[in-house]
Amino acid sequence: MELFLQQTVNAFALGGTYALLALGLAVVFSIMGLINFAHGELMTIAGYVLMYCGLAGISFVFAVPLALLASTFAAVLMERVAFRPVRNSSGATMLVTSFAVAMILQVIFQNFISVRSQPVLLPEALSGSITIGGLVIGVNKLVAIISTVIMLIFLDRFLSKQKYGIAMRAAAEDFAVARLMGIRANTVIAGAFAISGLLAGVAAILWVSQRASVDPLMGFTPVLKAFIAAILGGLGSLRGAVAGGFLLGFIEIYLAAFLPPALQEFRDPIGLGLVVLVLLMRPNGLLPAASLKAEKV
Amino acid sequence: MKKTLLMSSMLAMAVTGSAHAETLKVGVATAQTGALAHYDGPVVEGLRMGVDEINAAGGIGGTLKIELVEKDVRSDAAQTAIATQELVDAGVKVLILPCDADPSLAAISIVGSAQVPAISTCASSPTLPMIGGDYMFANFPGDNVQATVSAQWAYDQGMETAYIVYSPDTQYTSMPLYFADVMETLGGEVVGKDTYTLGQQDFSAISTRIANMDPQPDVVMTSAYEPDFPSFIKALRAAGVTSQVIGSDGIDSPTTFSIGPAADRLVFTTAGHPTENSPMAEFNAKYKETYGEESQTVFNAIGYDLAKVIEAASLAAGPDANSQELRDAIANLENVQGATSLITYKGTNGMPVREVTLIGVMDGERQLIGQPSPNPDIIPAPRMQ
Repeated sequence: MELFLQQTVNAFALGGTYALLALGLAVVFSIMGLINFAHGELMTIAGYVLMYCGLAGISFVFAVPLALLASTFAAVLMERVAFRPVRNSSGATMLVTSFAVAMILQVIFQNFISVRSQPVLLPEALSGSITIGGLVIGVNKLVAIISTVIMLIFLDRFLSKQKYGIAMRAAAEDFAVARLMGIRANTVIAGAFAISGLLAGVAAILWVSQRASVDPLMGFTPVLKAFIAAILGGLGSLRGAVAGGFLLGFIEIYLAAFLPPALQEFRDPIGLGLVVLVLLMRPNGLLPAASLKAEKV
Repeated sequence: MKKTLLMSSMLAMAVTGSAHAETLKVGVATAQTGALAHYDGPVVEGLRMGVDEINAAGGIGGTLKIELVEKDVRSDAAQTAIATQELVDAGVKVLILPCDADPSLAAISIVGSAQVPAISTCASSPTLPMIGGDYMFANFPGDNVQATVSAQWAYDQGMETAYIVYSPDTQYTSMPLYFADVMETLGGEVVGKDTYTLGQQDFSAISTRIANMDPQPDVVMTSAYEPDFPSFIKALRAAGVTSQVIGSDGIDSPTTFSIGPAADRLVFTTAGHPTENSPMAEFNAKYKETYGEESQTVFNAIGYDLAKVIEAASLAAGPDANSQELRDAIANLENVQGATSLITYKGTNGMPVREVTLIGVMDGERQLIGQPSPNPDIIPAPRMQ
């Protein structure tokens, strides 16, 4: 039982990180219909800021907001430079653009920073663990869970109470009508990118605090997981993205924890098989977006 | 007739001209971008240093300059095969292939049919030359030899129960299976095995499982490398596992030394250590002179070793040697002094005999534990995946 609870804590921590990542993708998708595969590179940028802050002797407490600022700013810049010109093109064009942005950034990191992964100095407190009711919980797991909760509350407040948040929700529902109501497309889209950049930054800090290093290709795995989680939850639906992220985290951890040793090698295919199974039963994802007008023929 | 004569004499001149080549063309198809660039990047830095040094002294034997023809294979197996073919077509006499066994293996059929000797920069899987045939060489202590050294050390320290965490994804990451074999041969016990996926970020499930064992294993062995390894050891320590952790050469990088207290009680095998006045210390000093910063990894020196091996082979085979003769020369090299170690290919199947160094991490500092010679009787046979 204790083992089960312990693994459940692990699943919450991992699922929370996936949820933040999936949310980052979903925020932009819900408004623009773009799956931004360069989302992972926003994480890499935040990671590099942490690394440079460490080198410059800036305390982690200040490095974190700087990293968040950097990824947010980079996301807005990315939209302005790369995505705005192709905004009215087909979904495929935007998708390919996002791949191109990701690759260009990776090569820039490799050529101008380093091909080798760079160590990131982390406060020692993050590596420790605390015992709560007999459960050993890693501090970075606790931080992951807490920051996920904070981000989810913040986002929920922002989208339901703030003017810009409401505008974004309106745009997600029907962009054309929202614009007729006087909502500026540029502001809403830039806002969506800013939020996705912020989410990428938070996820990056959690991600980097686990691996203690940053390399040019760091963003690939998380964006892949986020994509799976977003599809699982229902593309374009923010609540869906959160649900998908947590479900994916639970699937991964429980399989790693409780699959018999002989089957462990097939953990990933089994996990993805479960994802397919869920999608077979709910083709539009766990909590599909109301505006998703998927036609079945 | 006159014309034919002229033509044939020109042809003869052209042929003799190329036979007395003033340069030795070496094709370098390595991963300068992508996942293997961590290793191939520094190796090629070291290689260039070695080649520049040889060329500055007039070339191999004072006459034959080395010309590097470099191509980036982006850590991709298919691209390795393409680049290798292009280099073979360009007439290189020796090939340098990427660090990991798997992309190197992708170039095997080209290497074999062109009969050009190929050396992988730092692949350590002993199966590489076995699958690769006569023309494939490695440039690193084999996985089975490294595992023998670390298992023997652990056993001698009184550690008898081992837990291994390996990944079947590549040859290299299955090194812990050799470790388990040696442990069992020595009389130790393997109390558990786990697998992970390359690029896996989260090791909390495995760590929790190990932490809940009673008693915890004496030693946990893995050949995971960056970025997997730091995540692994941090998760392991956060879950409360205090066992000795043993790793392998892939973690000989600055990140390992900046992990902090989580990396205490960590020992890993690698290819060399700059003890005072050793060739490697000398190399590191030269590296600093050339690049203006300290060498951060043993893979720089490994690249320098490559230049020394090519130089020694070319010296033995003579300046006019063709690629087959160069292959035979490499296969017969004995005690070539590289930056990291003495290197011997003679009597092996292409997996060189080199020193293995055991490094311990203490307070973020590198500590030499020893450079023991492995007992040849207990080195496990290469395992075909």
